[in-house]
Amino acid sequence: MARFGNRKKKVFVKPVAAKKNQPTVDHITGNKIPKSFVFARGKLPGPLKQLQMDLRKLMLPYTALNLKEKKRNNLRDFLNVAGPMGVTHFLILSKTATAPYLRVGRTPQGPTLTFKIQEYSLAVDIAQSQVRPRCPQDLFKNPPLIVLSGFGSGDQHLKLTTIMFQNIFPAIDINTVKLSSCQRIVLLNYNKDTKLIDFRHYSIRLQPVGVSRRIRKIVQNHQVPDLRNLHDVSDFLTKAGYGSESEADDEAATVTLASDLGRINQASTKSAVKLQEIGPRMTLQLIKIEEGLCSGGVIFSEYENGDGKKKQDKEDSRKQQDTDEDEEDMDEDQEDIEEDLEDEEED
Amino acid sequence: MAEETHVAEPSKFPNKRKLGMRKASKSRKKPNFDGRTGNFSNKPKKVDRKMRKLFRKRARAYNSDEDEDEDEDENSMPVIRDDVESEKEEEVEEAEAELVDGSRAFRMAFKSIINKMVPHDILGPVMSAHKKLIGEKLAEEEAERKFKGEAKKEKQLLAEKGHVKPANYLDSQEKFLIGVATKGVVKLFNAVNKAQHAQKGLDPSRSKDAKAIRKRRKEAFFSELGKTSKSAAKGHTSKGKADGEGPAWAPLRDNYMLTNSKLKDWDKMPETTVADDFGRMSEDSSSDDD
Repeated sequence: MARFGNRKKKVFVKPVAAKKNQPTVDHITGNKIPKSFVFARGKLPGPLKQLQMDLRKLMLPYTALNLKEKKRNNLRDFLNVAGPMGVTHFLILSKTATAPYLRVGRTPQGPTLTFKIQEYSLAVDIAQSQVRPRCPQDLFKNPPLIVLSGFGSGDQHLKLTTIMFQNIFPAIDINTVKLSSCQRIVLLNYNKDTKLIDFRHYSIRLQPVGVSRRIRKIVQNHQVPDLRNLHDVSDFLTKAGYGSESEADDEAATVTLASDLGRINQASTKSAVKLQEIGPRMTLQLIKIEEGLCSGGVIFSEYENGDGKKKQDKEDSRKQQDTDEDEEDMDEDQEDIEEDLEDEEED
Repeated sequence: MAEETHVAEPSKFPNKRKLGMRKASKSRKKPNFDGRTGNFSNKPKKVDRKMRKLFRKRARAYNSDEDEDEDEDENSMPVIRDDVESEKEEEVEEAEAELVDGSRAFRMAFKSIINKMVPHDILGPVMSAHKKLIGEKLAEEEAERKFKGEAKKEKQLLAEKGHVKPANYLDSQEKFLIGVATKGVVKLFNAVNKAQHAQKGLDPSRSKDAKAIRKRRKEAFFSELGKTSKSAAKGHTSKGKADGEGPAWAPLRDNYMLTNSKLKDWDKMPETTVADDFGRMSEDSSSDDD
């Protein structure tokens, strides 16, 4: 017994690996680079876990791809880590009996937007639905561009949503940006009639305009073409290819490049912009905006406009009653999704 | 122990054959046996022959199919076939006699069971009287399984809520969204092209070029703003006239802070400061590049 007693217990502590060359400040523009955590509150079923992983990939490179979370981690733990690491945004997935929810919040002060995920498709589903899914190697090495459309109706909550999503990715400086770093685009389209936000994630591909498909393929693939059926080399150029020749390059989708992009897209030639979806795909409904991070006064609520203040009072009274209830969790969420989820230690 | 040797036999045919031969001609083979089979030699040979035979017999009776295999094996070896076979036959006869003696009662019992006509039943032939009980239990189990399956299915459904598999084709909504995104990309690329075209061929790390870039960017910026660029151009072409046209004191002119970088003959001091200000404002990128 004594022998075991004497033995010193060693607790394994994983050394905190210093993030190599992940700057907190963009060295070109001097702006602070926004970073994000994507994590879940409560237990997620399989497909939603996958969605969480997809979202992390979408937020690359300035996100924690392998963030591990435990059941006992509360929001405060994440906040404590977020400070030193310079994490500015939280994307929190949760699930209730009615639907999955996505909360997007700024740390440490808020605000927090709560979205109900009406429908979603994973990146895997998207890839399966495509004949030729595309994933170049360095697709996720650069942050995506973001396009917000339909948000300009002047409503306060929409404006806030716009600002939130604009700041979630690093801003680009058009004077210095390299076109080769623009590989992905995240689209948020607000539909006024249904009040739903379509969330899409595309990869950007550029193709030279006015070059026949065969020539393009030759330049791209480095392969000797099959000339068996031709009488002359010139036939290869003159003979029209099949099918996709008719891919009409509409004028709206062509750009003139400022610099060379790869081998086939030369500077100052016309190129067509082609987008291919990479997923995940979500249809979001903005439900609520809170002042703080998952706490504080309700600025906007989809369901009960104007009742926010009253509910706030109710929340306060409840807060005084049970102070040891320390973290917002799923049970509470399930009781009533409209009820404010409070982090008691916040105040 | 003897049984052990027997079990080891099927894997080692030569040993077995030797064993059989040894039994046929006992005294001659005995010294040979030790020398040839190393694994046998270290075992104590205290078990006498009769006991060993008995053990063998029992083992053979126990797993009779293995015995048949052995027989076949030995038949395939023509060299020592005759004496082994005689041995075998002897053994088989003995075993049969034993079986007949010992299991007559068992055989009778078995036959009576086999010959009994059993009505076809889902439960099969149940010998005990608790047929009903078992039936109930089975039904219960079935119901439970069904219930569990339903619960699982429901849970699965709940977990998959909101999860939609996309269609293989692009519907109008998706096409519209792609169109919107494309428009955004095109707009951005065009803006980038416009901005970077101005600074083409200049290296921002060199101070001279950096200055030129700054100047061009500023021009581009003012051209975006509109009118001021024109006045700047005018000032550039006719310096003297510009002095005469506006108010004599520079700050009173409309384009005082905006264009005086062009007016080289004016006092140098404000010119440089203003240029620096603009540089800091538009990009502090080229200055701190590391």
